[in-house]
Amino acid sequence: MKTRFSRSNIRTAYLFLAPAILGLTFITVLPLLGVVGISLTDWSGLEPPSFIGMDNYINLFNGDNYFFHSVVATLWFAFGAVIAGIIYSFLVALLLNQKILFRGLWRSVFFLPYIVPIIGASVVWAWMYESNFGVFNWLLGFLGVDKVKWLQSEALATPSLIAMTVWASGNLIVIFMAGLQNVPRSYLEAVEIDGGNTWHKFRHVTLPLLSPVIFFNFLTCLVFNLQAFVPAYAMTQGGPNDSTLSMVYLMYREGFMRNSFGHASALSLLFFLFIVALTALVFASSRKYMFYEGE
Amino acid sequence: MLVPRLLPRIVFNVIAVIVGLACLFPFLWMIRSSLMSNIEINTYPPHFWPDTPQWMNYPNTLKAFPFFRYLLNTLTITLPSIAGVLLTSTLAAYALARIDFPGRQVMFTLVIGSMLIPPAVTIIPIFVGWTTIGLSNGYLPLIVPAFLGGGAFNIFLCRQFLMTIPRDLDEAAVIDGATHRQILFDILLPLITPVLIAIGLFAFILYWNDLLGPLIYINNTDQSTISQALANFKSGFGTDWKAIMAASVMAVLPPVALYFVGQKYFIEGIVLSGLKS
Repeated sequence: MKTRFSRSNIRTAYLFLAPAILGLTFITVLPLLGVVGISLTDWSGLEPPSFIGMDNYINLFNGDNYFFHSVVATLWFAFGAVIAGIIYSFLVALLLNQKILFRGLWRSVFFLPYIVPIIGASVVWAWMYESNFGVFNWLLGFLGVDKVKWLQSEALATPSLIAMTVWASGNLIVIFMAGLQNVPRSYLEAVEIDGGNTWHKFRHVTLPLLSPVIFFNFLTCLVFNLQAFVPAYAMTQGGPNDSTLSMVYLMYREGFMRNSFGHASALSLLFFLFIVALTALVFASSRKYMFYEGE
Repeated sequence: MLVPRLLPRIVFNVIAVIVGLACLFPFLWMIRSSLMSNIEINTYPPHFWPDTPQWMNYPNTLKAFPFFRYLLNTLTITLPSIAGVLLTSTLAAYALARIDFPGRQVMFTLVIGSMLIPPAVTIIPIFVGWTTIGLSNGYLPLIVPAFLGGGAFNIFLCRQFLMTIPRDLDEAAVIDGATHRQILFDILLPLITPVLIAIGLFAFILYWNDLLGPLIYINNTDQSTISQALANFKSGFGTDWKAIMAASVMAVLPPVALYFVGQKYFIEGIVLSGLKS
């Protein structure tokens, strides 16, 4: 290449990037500004909007206790699903990392639920949770427990949604398995030579070496589950008593079912700040327990 | 010596079988319920398998749940979107990985930055935008974004993959007088097919499974996607679980079939997105 910045190079580069630049403009930057702008109005989509300052935000914190409920519901669901999902998928990955028969087949089996449309999974699980003829209550019967209203009880609705979400986290298993295969055998053998047992190998080699993978899974899974909408929409409609009314669900309800765009935009912006704050918190705390090779 | 060594292996295999079957159970239960009569499905304690499988449940469900129309609707959104994602993310990734131009670092930072913005945050202004130009009811709002860069994560993934291919290849081609278009499509494209297949498959799953998008932009039930139709069917036929399960089987089948065909690429794609980034 003769000149570093030849004119034709510049032209080609921006031509190739043109769709992405349009995307950045129209689906990222302008909408972000739009969220801020619309949140300061009382827009319903029908009449021209009028500027009402911070009223939407004040209403969220005062009159409207849905907002507080939705923050609690979002945190409860997302952290529950992430922690349970990481533990489940890590244990399954450890299991499949042993010398077992049909490893490849089992890996496919555990990954399969991830491919299933979430709405399909939600509908099937809703049927399994059904309180009169559902299979879960039948299984409970063997333990001598009475029938339970899984999705209609405030205490059990969120855990029920979490169980389904955990089932569907086959992608995490595959990532953990790949991470486990990258653990050098020589490290594990060194522990054996020093007289360490399986627990020592796990605690002092596998777990530290995998901490970046755990962190990656934790973060992506958290951001994903904070935005979860379909399970609650299809299985509980946000109930009972708003216990599964997540922030995204509330935003959808205010914006698209009640046409109060101003209110919904204020929610969107707070949701954004909420995710940013949580992500920053997770990053900050990760420094304490993360292990990077070569540090 | 043999027993202590063999015992953990047996235990692990047994656990794998139990947990694996538990993982498959919802699939089994869905199929089993879809083949039952109304009386049998509401029997307690439940039968594990229908006495006589009611195959007619499927044709009967199709009358209220026109699966093939929904399939066509879904493909009308999904196929162009995948093409858009593949084309525009590859172009952007190539520019970011292979061309020296002023502003490259800024562009790269912007792309990475936009990855951090959760899509749920901007749905309202984007909807308002489509309403303003009178196109808020239909497929366009669901397809067009795919042609605008195809998602920051895909650009990033493709760019990372391109970075691993030696640049000597391009430089030799430049000396032979090749243009950037030729370098990308004739030389590099065959080398980056694994990542493109992974991106394509995940785009398929994403568009196929999307529910929020169709709920917002498709108001006409004739135009419903499969996911949307299944959600409507479930709320509309509340207690007819055999029909709801038959509809679920149909909705779940295409992605599962695709998974069995492209399994290798799915697994590789997940590993790629999970570990390389």
